Amino acid sequence: MRNMVLNNVRPFVDGKFGEPTKICLVDGKWADSAPEGTPEFDAKGALALPALFGLGLDFKEPLRDDIYTFKDGVSAMRRGGFFGGLYESSANPIDDSQKLTAMQQLASKSGLEFAFLGAFSMGYQCKDLAEMMELAQGGAVGFGDGNQDASRTRFLRLAMEYGSMTGKRFFFMPLDDSLRHHGLVHEGSYADTLGMKGIPRIAETISVFRILEMARFLKVPVHFKQVSCGETLRLIETARAQGVDVTCDVDIYHLLLDDSCLFDLDSHCNVLMPFRSADDREALWKGLESGTVNAISVNHDPVLRQDKEVNFEDAVPGAVSLEIALGAIWKPLSGRLGAARAVELLSTAPAQLAGVEPVSLRKGGQASLVLLDQDRPTKVVPAMFAGKTRNTPLLGKELPSSIVASYINGEWTEV
Amino acid sequence: MSALEIKHLFGLRGVSKHDIRLILDNAKQFREILERPVKKVPSLRGMTVVNLFFENSTRTRTSFELAEKRLSADTVNFTSSNSSVKKGETLVDTLRNIEAMKIDIVVVRHKGTGVPKFLADNSDAIIVNAGDGAHEHPTQALLDMLTIEEKLGTLEGKNVTIVGDIRHSRVARSNLWGMTTMGAHVTLCGPSTLVPRNRELMDKVTWEPDVKKAVKDADAIIALRLQKERMDDALLPSMREYRNTFGITHELLECAKDKVLIMHPGPINRGVELDSEIADGENSVILNQVTNGVAVRMAVLYLLAGGRANA
Repeated sequence: MRNMVLNNVRPFVDGKFGEPTKICLVDGKWADSAPEGTPEFDAKGALALPALFGLGLDFKEPLRDDIYTFKDGVSAMRRGGFFGGLYESSANPIDDSQKLTAMQQLASKSGLEFAFLGAFSMGYQCKDLAEMMELAQGGAVGFGDGNQDASRTRFLRLAMEYGSMTGKRFFFMPLDDSLRHHGLVHEGSYADTLGMKGIPRIAETISVFRILEMARFLKVPVHFKQVSCGETLRLIETARAQGVDVTCDVDIYHLLLDDSCLFDLDSHCNVLMPFRSADDREALWKGLESGTVNAISVNHDPVLRQDKEVNFEDAVPGAVSLEIALGAIWKPLSGRLGAARAVELLSTAPAQLAGVEPVSLRKGGQASLVLLDQDRPTKVVPAMFAGKTRNTPLLGKELPSSIVASYINGEWTEV
Repeated sequence: MSALEIKHLFGLRGVSKHDIRLILDNAKQFREILERPVKKVPSLRGMTVVNLFFENSTRTRTSFELAEKRLSADTVNFTSSNSSVKKGETLVDTLRNIEAMKIDIVVVRHKGTGVPKFLADNSDAIIVNAGDGAHEHPTQALLDMLTIEEKLGTLEGKNVTIVGDIRHSRVARSNLWGMTTMGAHVTLCGPSTLVPRNRELMDKVTWEPDVKKAVKDADAIIALRLQKERMDDALLPSMREYRNTFGITHELLECAKDKVLIMHPGPINRGVELDSEIADGENSVILNQVTNGVAVRMAVLYLLAGGRANA
């Protein structure tokens, strides 16, 4: 625990940023005053936002700690200003209570707030049901597919039917493997020009439609991770209007990039879900404006250098984002939707989706915050990243804003 | 000598008319040299070229190797079956090892789109694409263009029709960029499951599903090889139906001009995309393509190496 006095900082209070002021941070709270000798930090007019909540964290430990560790992930979260996150690892399915307990123990030492998705099937195989009741009792906030295709429809029905006893939400990355086939990128004019195998939008929408029908039939709440195209948002709107409890998020990179980046043939742009067309990207932004999209996700997925330093089609999909998400998205997001909605999409709403108490800034309350110089550009360089991975499509690019520091649950991190 | 604007040959998309003209004009000179009793020139003496073939190839590799030898370069062949790639070495490590042996030019064929650019980003060598996935096969398109110019005098205003599996064809992609740059009208024709679905960025060509209409005004027809895997992947019902619908046959050529050139990148599936009597007939220029392949590859290597030497 560390105390800090922030001078010349503009805190986000009651839905807006105040004038530059002084904030005393004492024992994790915004106090009236700080003890004598407390170090001071000149924020130079930086914004103080409530710390963020990351949807889609995968820190690989224990089975792939050769790629990344939980400690790396925690360091990335502090650098990026995240007070917590929703964890679901494709490499480590949490399909029994022992695994859940082990992850909770790892998380408890971090000083950050983690929520965990249990797997609804053993090993994400969609063959045997996981012990969902015990997982829910142990604290799993929902059940996920580990970003694997859950197209065994009968199994899905049984899993959701059984899981409905827990009252928890089911999380899916909707992608029909059969329609995806060997596709790697969005099936569009860029892929066809390059002769690359594409993933059609219907690989997403058909999967979404099937799951929505199941949710309607079984009355089970569902969430779609990383929605990538406008058609999916229309299906979600229709289902909601008919009473289906459905939420969704969009990935930060899908708001910033589209498939035109394929012409660079940069293997860092090999991600799942694929970057779709400029029209899809605009549809996602409109979904944020209309409220169809509930939250912005980060989907932090470390990939080793040797698995990215290959040609595009042989690269392992995935991107890390925690350290650079805010610097990349803040200006376009707050510029288009306003600061209040931007904070909601990056902090409040994702926490609520994961069943975690959101953070807010007010004098006398807990103060987990991130300082952002919104007008100081930063170049994305490898040294910004925790651990040994740096797999982001924005590597070498300039972000419009810079994270200055974070203060989360009493721990100060200067960037 | 005028220099190429490009430093490597990744593909023909975006390559200027100036560069294509320069390559074709140089290739014509090399073709004359190939007719001489002594076919060797000292242009690349002292330079080393590695042929890095991760996919099986007989004619393209042989053609490149012959071009390199006729330019007096030292050549080394790496194929996936004899290289350390089989032992798990990464592409970058393979390249760095080859580079450490002081290689000047790398000719590469790989199943992955963009591998030539990836290699150029990670090395100092001159990279020549000998086919990357379904993306581009620029030297094949250049030799096709050279063959048409040889027979018809010019590409400007000529109608070239490409028939077959366009979606998976690097030859078709390179040809559509190169030939349209040189002023030809390109028509692409194939079964609906074997043409690209999204063509907005390939809008300078005509897409014609009816093969009879596609060949009607053609000055040259390029038939593409049909891979047998397309049937396994349920993209086509049978070779028989393909031949009857899209095969280049006598009956089909009754709809075309009398002197239409018949071309094929090889190897031919006789009786599938091209009937034998057509492949061996008087309109066929398929063997001219093979000869021109060596000349075009000599021109590409010579000009790219010259650009480096002049830098």
